Amino acid sequence: MVDVGLVGDQIITGLSIGSRLFLIAIGLSLIFGVLDVLNFAHGSLYMIGAYAAIVAVQNAVGNFWVGVLVAGLVVGLVGVVLEAGFIRRVYDRDHLDQLLLTFAFVLILTDVVRTIFGSGSNVINPPALLQFTIDFTDGLAIPAYRAFVIVASVAALGLLFLVLRTTNIGRVVRATSSDREMASLLGINVPQLYTGVFFVGSVLAGIGGAFAAPLQAVTPELGNQVIINAFIVVVIGGLGSFTGAFVGAYVIGLLIALGSLVVAGAGQLLPFVAMILVLVFKPQGLFGGAET
Amino acid sequence: MSVLDVEGIDTYYGNSHVLHDLSLSLEENEIVALLGRNGAGKTTTLRSITGTVSPRSGAIRYRGEDVAGRSVDAISNSGIKLVPEERRVFPTLTVEENLLVAAESCANPREIGEMYEVFPVLDDLRENRGRNLSGGEQQMLSVARALVQNPDLLLLDEPTEGLAPVIVEDLRKVFREVVERDVTVLITEQNVEFALDLSERGYIIEKGTNAWEGSIDDLQQREDLLEQYLSVSIDEGDGERETETGSDAEGSTDSAPS
Repeated sequence: MVDVGLVGDQIITGLSIGSRLFLIAIGLSLIFGVLDVLNFAHGSLYMIGAYAAIVAVQNAVGNFWVGVLVAGLVVGLVGVVLEAGFIRRVYDRDHLDQLLLTFAFVLILTDVVRTIFGSGSNVINPPALLQFTIDFTDGLAIPAYRAFVIVASVAALGLLFLVLRTTNIGRVVRATSSDREMASLLGINVPQLYTGVFFVGSVLAGIGGAFAAPLQAVTPELGNQVIINAFIVVVIGGLGSFTGAFVGAYVIGLLIALGSLVVAGAGQLLPFVAMILVLVFKPQGLFGGAET
Repeated sequence: MSVLDVEGIDTYYGNSHVLHDLSLSLEENEIVALLGRNGAGKTTTLRSITGTVSPRSGAIRYRGEDVAGRSVDAISNSGIKLVPEERRVFPTLTVEENLLVAAESCANPREIGEMYEVFPVLDDLRENRGRNLSGGEQQMLSVARALVQNPDLLLLDEPTEGLAPVIVEDLRKVFREVVERDVTVLITEQNVEFALDLSERGYIIEKGTNAWEGSIDDLQQREDLLEQYLSVSIDEGDGERETETGSDAEGSTDSAPS
């Protein structure tokens, strides 16, 4: 039998990984769902968010929450530059061209960050407010900060749904994502809306990266490490589906954490196995074609 | 001053030259029919006016200003609204949301409640998603979505295509009412009888260029024209086939999911 306590620990680790994966995947999915662009550089935006938070906390403000805010804004602005300056020009091309362009940004952004900060890893502490653990009865415990990030991922999903379902701008975004030409025929300024959506998606990546900074070593390669799993999450959930991305993120998080209990290395392998199974048996993803 | 003057436009899809020196003009508050066979260039004419495809030469003057080359949303916001041939209701939005998006995207919309009075069917379907509506219901929603934006110039692309006669009759009443509210209308139709009944003036286009213009009363006396350009006596508008290259060019763009 497997040690029950160990399984419990790994479940908590899996949920924590899942929460971070979702904070990347949500922006990726939003941008794909509305703009129909696969942004390979989304992981790099997440990485920049982590660095921005670290720099802000260590050198300037000293307060974790201000660091999160700074990270969101900085990455949002980087996103706007990428969209308005470059990605906008390839909307009408196929996904391969978009991937090549955004992959170029992955290489460039990784090297820019390495040049400025070096290739060593950086860490910051969780905010003082959350430096305690929540104990469960049978010896299980979850660090409060990890629990917070899990709650934050649920809140992000809820907030996004609320905005999309109940606000004017949410309706406009949904209308435009289903028929961009008809939206412009109704007088909607689609390029402006796209820039706005890319900004929001980038802010989510920046905040996600900032939230992740206390939980993992932050290196210039962080973006490259997370983007593959984020893509797997989005493929499994169904491109453009937020519910799918949420379920996908936690499934992949748990597979990574629990897989390593069974065989060493299985944690890295299982996400790919899951993606292949989904692509073979349900190519649209688990929630593909569902409402956004 | 005319509401709209299309002055000798030439429109291309890639290298395919679809409209040749095409002109037409609309006066305040009139309904004008744009007639012609499948592939004659009717939809392309409307797409040129809305800015979806910009003419390479010629001018499109809307209330005196040349709007050719402006963005689609800018032209729409100046008061020109299109009811597209494929209806294009937003499939994942409910009926109510389709109307709300339209109302919230323009400066001085009409009341949504007014649209439910004009189309009581839509009132019963408020919470239904666009994709679950029948063709007739989608057409009503598409028309209501344009009307709620309080158009100054309304472009109707084949509004009766594929609809049951009862619904066609409803639409005829609605369009009559519309014009009484200071709206100028340009309508393309395969259903020639419908277009002739609504309009006072008409243009016939053939292979992307002007073939005839005049009053509907004159046109109804001219069986030769109806037969030559509209095939009215040969069949009733449905199931026509065109084989000329010009028609292929437009036919393929019309059916392409854009």
